[in-house]
Amino acid sequence: MNRNAGSRVGSVMLGLFALVMLAPLYLVIVNAFKPESAIRQRPFSADPGVLSTDYLRSALSSPDYNIIKAFGVTVLFVVLVNALSLALAGPAAYVIARGTRPWHKGMLLVFLAGLFIPGQVLVIPVIYVLRFTGLMGTIPGFVMYEATLTLPLSMFLFVGYIKSIPRELDEAAQIDGAGRLRTFWQVIFPLMRPVVVTAVVLHTIGVWTDFVNPQIVLGPTSGLYTVMTGVYSAIGLHTTDLSVVYPTLLLAIAPVLVFFVIMQRKIVGGLTAGATKG
Amino acid sequence: MRPSNVTLTAPGPSDNPPVPERPRHTHHTSPRPLRARAARSLPSIFMVGPALAAIVAFILIPVVVAGRLSLTDWDGFSDNSKFVGLDNYVQLFHDPDVASAAYVTLVIAVVGTVACNVLGLGLAVMLNGQGRVKAMLRGLFFYPHVLGAVIIGFLWSAILSSEGAVNTLLTAAHRSKIPFLSDPQWALAAVVFVVIWSTFGVNVVLYLAGLQTIPESLLEAARIDGASRWQTFRQVVLPMLAPTVTINVVLVLVQLLRVYDLVLAMTDGGPAGHTQTYAYLVLSESFLNGKIGYASAQSIVLMVVIAVLAVVIVALRQRSEKAVEL
Repeated sequence: MNRNAGSRVGSVMLGLFALVMLAPLYLVIVNAFKPESAIRQRPFSADPGVLSTDYLRSALSSPDYNIIKAFGVTVLFVVLVNALSLALAGPAAYVIARGTRPWHKGMLLVFLAGLFIPGQVLVIPVIYVLRFTGLMGTIPGFVMYEATLTLPLSMFLFVGYIKSIPRELDEAAQIDGAGRLRTFWQVIFPLMRPVVVTAVVLHTIGVWTDFVNPQIVLGPTSGLYTVMTGVYSAIGLHTTDLSVVYPTLLLAIAPVLVFFVIMQRKIVGGLTAGATKG
Repeated sequence: MRPSNVTLTAPGPSDNPPVPERPRHTHHTSPRPLRARAARSLPSIFMVGPALAAIVAFILIPVVVAGRLSLTDWDGFSDNSKFVGLDNYVQLFHDPDVASAAYVTLVIAVVGTVACNVLGLGLAVMLNGQGRVKAMLRGLFFYPHVLGAVIIGFLWSAILSSEGAVNTLLTAAHRSKIPFLSDPQWALAAVVFVVIWSTFGVNVVLYLAGLQTIPESLLEAARIDGASRWQTFRQVVLPMLAPTVTINVVLVLVQLLRVYDLVLAMTDGGPAGHTQTYAYLVLSESFLNGKIGYASAQSIVLMVVIAVLAVVIVALRQRSEKAVEL
């Protein structure tokens, strides 16, 4: 077998893949600065004569939705869901990972079963639970529901990781007089950094890109929209007007992409580490 | 420090029976006053309680509620709903919309799972190891995951529309346009393509993680034995990756069986319902049309199908992994 030829074919294939991945991104960036006719006639060109920031500016001041507000709301949700998720999953995973009784195993199974329950099954009846508790259409209701959806994955990652931390550490802390909760937060939790990073990365992507839950649980009457639900309602009205579609998409993805490029190694690396641990 | 740590490192296997693990737990079973035991487990209950309460309130109770609603004809707002038993489930199996949505979902799930795993594994093998270009490419394949399916759907629908970028290229090359989104078969193919485009990056990452668990010494041994690249891959890498394959197949399949946002933004189920997935049917058709009872029955069926598939795949893979070991 000719290894050189093989690797050359490989490089060409990789290049083609890279092109298919990048082309849509290029089109969003270039066409966000062009009038409708130029987008339709020469979508790939970046002719300085027609480029203008007008379309971006009108997308920024769109009466349909306020992109800045959407980003603020989404970031707030990401932070709240991650904080609540850690506060709930951390101590519970610790007790379950250290537990030796059958009910500990049983509880882990209850948590993991959540991995196989699709969001579409839950979102209809969850509305009735939220109405019953008076939390429907509110930020606390949405954050509590969304954080609960992160628990199965967190438990899966955390329990496995805590089991790899020696028990001697817990015992030493307890001899020094620390209670279980303190032992967890002050001794075990700091050691869980890699797996916590993985969980936070996954939950952040999950909350950020979620569409169904904010759309249905927050509802149109709350006046709250995330980047996803905001873009959906803004573009839904103008699907055929590409000089609205492209700038709106660019504004929604540009900050996320910048963040991703800066954090790329951490994000992909964290996932790789998380996958090997789990 | 426990004495077991010392004895475990001793070479003689005969004089260190596995007793040291035992004494630590005997106090659980020893008769103690009930109150003292309750006081001891109080912190544990306090630590597990909130998470368990959340799961019960927002996952277990809703599943039970969905099960109950699925036996009624409730429309979502009227005060009285009738108990209809299994009528919704019977109706579901005779509903042409359900059959068509199930077919669309099956195509997406099967083609997507195969493609994402083949691409994921192939690219992971090519991108394994150090290097700036490799690291950049890993990020490039993964980036759709941070965009969100709604945005990806709108983006590709703009690119593939009849006046979109691809058709402009075809026209410029004097070819006829392709009705990517308006022809039923092309639209389904387009959805499948975009699903794969936006998903396989995560498989690349997971397979890379799996590759890193293969000890370098095994690969070296194969090289010394004169194995070709393909032989090494087939006989060393692939068997070692068996558990990773299982995880990837289950994860992607479970994910693709519930594709919704992407279709909503890309084709809105069209043309004429030909890209309507099962999840789309549940949420956009049944739920919003006030057929809560029927939508609940549909969603329960989806849940059962996903759970059964996941269990079957894991069981089959475990059996074949055992067969490899023997």
